[in-house]
Amino acid sequence: MDKPIMTGSLESSDCLITLYETDTPIIEVDTIVHDAFHDHILHLIKDVLKHYDLEHLSVRIQDKGALDYAIKARLKAAIEIYEDDSNG
Amino acid sequence: MARSYLFIPANEPRMLQNAYVFDADAIILDLEDSVAIEEKHEARHLAKSFLKDYPKDTARTYVRINTQADWLERDLACLQDLDFEGIVLPKMTLKMWETYEKTALKQGFHKPVIGIVETPEAFFELDAIASIEQIEGLILGAEDLVSGMEAKRTLEGHEILYARSMVRMACAKHHILAIDTPWTNLEEAHLQKDITHAITLGFEGKCAIHPNQVPVINEAFAPSKATIDFALRVMKKYEETSSMRFSLDGQMVDKPVLQRAEDTLKKARFYGLLKEDRS
Repeated sequence: MDKPIMTGSLESSDCLITLYETDTPIIEVDTIVHDAFHDHILHLIKDVLKHYDLEHLSVRIQDKGALDYAIKARLKAAIEIYEDDSNG
Repeated sequence: MARSYLFIPANEPRMLQNAYVFDADAIILDLEDSVAIEEKHEARHLAKSFLKDYPKDTARTYVRINTQADWLERDLACLQDLDFEGIVLPKMTLKMWETYEKTALKQGFHKPVIGIVETPEAFFELDAIASIEQIEGLILGAEDLVSGMEAKRTLEGHEILYARSMVRMACAKHHILAIDTPWTNLEEAHLQKDITHAITLGFEGKCAIHPNQVPVINEAFAPSKATIDFALRVMKKYEETSSMRFSLDGQMVDKPVLQRAEDTLKKARFYGLLKEDRS
């Protein structure tokens, strides 16, 4: 991966996903609904990465109140770009 | 059957998650004109995720796809096996249908299609388009049509009268839905006037490009109380006389009037406007 992949936006009800490579994978969750949904979003991201067998990648999410379907869609879109890039 | 068809840009989560709160009878998730080229990829994922994971409402749900060959293929691929009513296919012509059908067959994609007729070319093959088995209805796309004609869209609508009439007649002939063009001016009085033109010609519903247009369209395309009451009285007298020809309020009632009364009551029931105990 030459540079981080970004999908989504910082608009209300959306989220900005940054997918990148590091030596040690990390997941950063920055959300406006931290107390209620931080752990839920973290698990959601872990599940999607696991599904694609990409747990070695790092993710930063800047969440502006996105629902699950939107978070999954933004992350899957980033993953598809990553896979397309990886496959040349 | 639907009165209002509300376009929702598929790349905007804020709009998507509110899609069902505006009381539109149908929503059209848009992958085409309202989505910038660089956002098509993400819009497909959002549309797919929305259709898969978001709780479905009673509103009919359609997806407007792109017509450029590679985008069309990707759009249909992402919509496989999802629960929604059908495809809205823009720039509908017989040639476009050929491209769509070929791609859909290749992918094993089977859904009803509403075609948008919005090019001058389409109006020379309208009968053939409306006769296609998978076509559930036609939308008149006046904005693009008028551009293609190098004409000017006006509130009076003279420039699209022929096109409107042709769409309505083709749909009537083939018993498919006739859906009127969106009105892009957001002023309610102008919308009302544009709706009147469509209703006069017999259109059954209209596209909306803003949620505020939905209640205006829903009310206008539903049978009025006076129309429902008249239809009820027509049917009551028909039952009493057992005749296909009688007079009511000084008006001759015969088969076409009876048919219209039946259609009115069918619509009124569908939209929950008829209490069965009314007389």
